[in-house]
Amino acid sequence: MDTAPTTGLTAADYPLSVRHPELLHTPTGKPITALTMDAVVSGELSAEDLRIAPETLRMQAELADASGRPQLASNFRRAAEMTAIPDAAVLAMYNALRPRASSGPQLAELAERLETEFSAPVCAGLVREAAEVYARRNLLARPAAGSDPTAAGD
Amino acid sequence: MTETQPRRDPQPRHSLRTEILEARPMNLDGFVEEWPEKGLVAMESDFDPAPSVRVEDGRIVELDGRARADFDFMDTFIANHAIDVASAERCTSMPSAQIARMLIDPGASRDEVLAVTRGLTPAKILDVVKLMNVVEIMQGMQKMRARRTPANQGHSTSARDNPIQVAADAAEGALRGFAELETTLGVLRYAPLVAIALQVGAQVGRGGVLTQCALEEATELELGMRGITAYAETISIYGTESVFIDGDDTPWSKAFLASAYASRGIKMRFTSGTGSEVQMGNAEGKSMLYLEIRCILMAKGAGVQGLQNGSISCIGVPGAVPGGLRAVAAENLVASMVDLECASGNDQSFSHSAMRRTARAMPQLLPGTDFVCSGYSAVPNPDNMFAGSNFDTEDYDDWNTIQRDLQVDGGLRHVREDEILQARNKAARALQTLFAQLDLPAITDQEVEAATYANSSNDYPLRDVLTDLKGAQAVMDRGLTGLDLVRGLEAGGFHDVAENLLTVLRQRVSGDLLQTSAVLTADFTPLSAINDANDYAGPGTGYRLAGERWEQLKKLRHVTSATNPETEVR
Repeated sequence: MDTAPTTGLTAADYPLSVRHPELLHTPTGKPITALTMDAVVSGELSAEDLRIAPETLRMQAELADASGRPQLASNFRRAAEMTAIPDAAVLAMYNALRPRASSGPQLAELAERLETEFSAPVCAGLVREAAEVYARRNLLARPAAGSDPTAAGD
Repeated sequence: MTETQPRRDPQPRHSLRTEILEARPMNLDGFVEEWPEKGLVAMESDFDPAPSVRVEDGRIVELDGRARADFDFMDTFIANHAIDVASAERCTSMPSAQIARMLIDPGASRDEVLAVTRGLTPAKILDVVKLMNVVEIMQGMQKMRARRTPANQGHSTSARDNPIQVAADAAEGALRGFAELETTLGVLRYAPLVAIALQVGAQVGRGGVLTQCALEEATELELGMRGITAYAETISIYGTESVFIDGDDTPWSKAFLASAYASRGIKMRFTSGTGSEVQMGNAEGKSMLYLEIRCILMAKGAGVQGLQNGSISCIGVPGAVPGGLRAVAAENLVASMVDLECASGNDQSFSHSAMRRTARAMPQLLPGTDFVCSGYSAVPNPDNMFAGSNFDTEDYDDWNTIQRDLQVDGGLRHVREDEILQARNKAARALQTLFAQLDLPAITDQEVEAATYANSSNDYPLRDVLTDLKGAQAVMDRGLTGLDLVRGLEAGGFHDVAENLLTVLRQRVSGDLLQTSAVLTADFTPLSAINDANDYAGPGTGYRLAGERWEQLKKLRHVTSATNPETEVR
């Protein structure tokens, strides 16, 4: 399913923070070893430096796969895609997936946006699957519902 | 009526023994007959489906007697994501007794069991655990728990949402051994201040303890994203489609939320439990355990690393029916036997009987689980804002003694009072300094003094609630993050606490705490089901309470010295 290049990590490489700190970087490109108290005090670090990078989530996905946990690995791969989505947008998308919050076309549009704007095909697949099930189980928003649910909830 | 009036309707005379029994706290508990048609039955119901599975073209087209066209959304999600399609038909057709025996057979490794359970349907899993009595369920748990080393989780809350109390009790709790600490609120707007207090107190008590603040989904995620909390747990799921929808979610919205947490490097588990569906009025005529197994497989399919279950806030429901607590033990086992982290309940109070409260915890305490309690109350129960726990601060010495008597590790230990007072005082001072650094509502020296020696929220000076709520709002408006807490603690001279918190925050960059059953040890090593895999293989193997940890647990408040019977061991 996932075609990203692998680094050949196995369960013996866990925990990465102990065994492979050299592989760990912040989304801002700093090595994890740069996250020191001195850097905090001098104001070099922002909250952005304490987030997880998509590459790290893909490494954790490999470790999960190597430990026989394919569903956990899939979750980490969706999460790797979501690192690109701003906090408020993530919350709005979550709200859009609630029962009867979105129409079929709105969910289709959300899936499209995930793919094109955020390069998140695995997340888009989850949304498309939801749309199909919601249609069958009568969980789509009624067409007459006034507001745009994807615009709310931040 | 007065006692001198003659009784017109004389009651049948009771024996003195009956009167004594009637007066026992036990008889304040509620019990009810089974009503399987309404789902008021623990785990044995004629209305539960028979196991079946059929695969066509790499897709499950029949699940537990239902064709795909008739699947509700739980069936669909479980069939699409939770069950291993390649082995489903083979595993589900195995005799249930053979699978149940594998669960308790030391000759079958945990991995060998997992190779079977990953292909089982919900009804098949139910059919397997229905064969097991409570001792066999415990044997299964001993082997199937994901993390080798058991742990415990505490609640630190305050009936007045007093942040100083939460910090001091978190520090004491962390020192006593809780690996995770959870808080929640009476007044929700207090959340930012209390979540900060919990984090600071925890890092004073023992660096590396993970904290969370239970709130509605969006706010809980926001506090996590800001690095004020370290993990999340109150992400509820339900076993019927109708109740899931009543909770305003679907398996897909919750799976999306699971990934959202992971995308911010935040550990997360779902929450479910027997009795929730019947309590919310739509069990669709299925047994409590069958519905809970659907929840467990939904969580598995979502790829969330773990689950808090064991009835949780609905414990009164299974607690009221025959075999209910056996079903609760079974639901913990099922979470573990499908390889999820299990934070195994023993939280919400459910009985007036001390004996019954203790018995309820044995199936988790004796074999050990990832978190024996998913909230032992680290405050007196009247301060517990999760509606009270099965155990509270008054039970600390009892818990420690039971650990010592039976040589089992329930995650706690006895700590000398001088150490506790020191930690409580330091937590209160650290919070006082941090609030001053961040221009949040002041904490007085009187409050610090009270926190050092207090038992409950009644022992603290009253806070100015309006000022506190303004301060709480300011935390959100100013966008304060975990990094600001580190900076404030460091600037205020609490270097070690600041360093502890920074190390916890740095963990989210590594993602190590996202793996199954992860906790942080006292030296900040992530310990999970990967590097601390449960290797139980019969007597003499697996986790054994021995060595330094056993020496810790031999200590109690009062133990007579062997060499000098006039003195007590310190």
